[in-house]
Amino acid sequence: MSIYHTAEMIEASALGQTIRESTWLFPAIESGHLLALALLGGSVLIISLSVLGVGLKTSPAEIYKGARRYMDGAVIILLITGLLLGVSEPVKLYDRQAFWVKMISMVLAIALTYFAFNPMVRRGSSGVVIRSVTVLTMASWLMVAIAGRWIGFS
Amino acid sequence: MLEALVAKLADTPWSIELHESLYMYAITESTHVIFIMLFVGTIAMVDLRLLDLAFRQIPVSQMLSKMLPWTVTGFVVLVISGAMLFMAIPIRTYHSLWFRLKCIMILIAAINIAIFTFKVERDKASWDLGPVPRKSKICAAISLSAWVCVIVLGRLIAYNWFDCDNINSPAMLQLTGCPADAG
Repeated sequence: MSIYHTAEMIEASALGQTIRESTWLFPAIESGHLLALALLGGSVLIISLSVLGVGLKTSPAEIYKGARRYMDGAVIILLITGLLLGVSEPVKLYDRQAFWVKMISMVLAIALTYFAFNPMVRRGSSGVVIRSVTVLTMASWLMVAIAGRWIGFS
Repeated sequence: MLEALVAKLADTPWSIELHESLYMYAITESTHVIFIMLFVGTIAMVDLRLLDLAFRQIPVSQMLSKMLPWTVTGFVVLVISGAMLFMAIPIRTYHSLWFRLKCIMILIAAINIAIFTFKVERDKASWDLGPVPRKSKICAAISLSAWVCVIVLGRLIAYNWFDCDNINSPAMLQLTGCPADAG
């Protein structure tokens, strides 16, 4: 079965219909998505700025301990609310280039965060490698947010 | 008076160009959303510290001084991009119930910041690493709730449920300042 057919099936699902036909559900989920975005921004930035030497003077590993659960929480809320938004209009999304750009950069951002940035921060790495990983991680999340906003415009 | 000013703004070439341009409006709105991450994100981290919910081993004074420049940077970009968004669609935004509520929430957040800066945090040297006093926690809780409301209300401006041509009740006309004959 093609991706397009799958999208049509999801669109016809009860969940998709409920969200699409309600006046308040879509904006409410969208707002949750935005609030989690702010939380993700804050928790990634507070560690990143310190790694780059332009934030807190406390060691990034120490900051990570405090920020971690908010980062994880934000990512989980973003995934759940994002999934619900997607379920309500998958056929439209299938046609939007910005959506696919967002999905690819999201996979990249999550992989960079959880397999490179977080482990290196936890280990207390310093130097050009962790700084580059930090900039890349921030850039990839930025890309996710920009492409996400662009879905609404394209 | 304000109404006439907004109407005048809507007729300026700036407003028309922003509104009609293919990319400029989208770029401005994206910028506005992206900088929420910097502005509200850094505020949220400081508030979590004041609420004893994270970073307990980091001094409050360091948290405030090192995060503030980033928060201010975010604020400047948000005010500029926000003003541009208003300028692009002045009359509708001026009458928007959500926009009006958003302005009130920003005002509440601003007063809260003033109270925190000029009264509450003055003796922070004595609780830099110790337990955060109750009044500081109250400020942090007000701050977090106010900015959450600002984000949600800002998002809702895009929806037309209470636009001038969709409302009839006298109370709503009063709240939005819409002319009575619009609907």
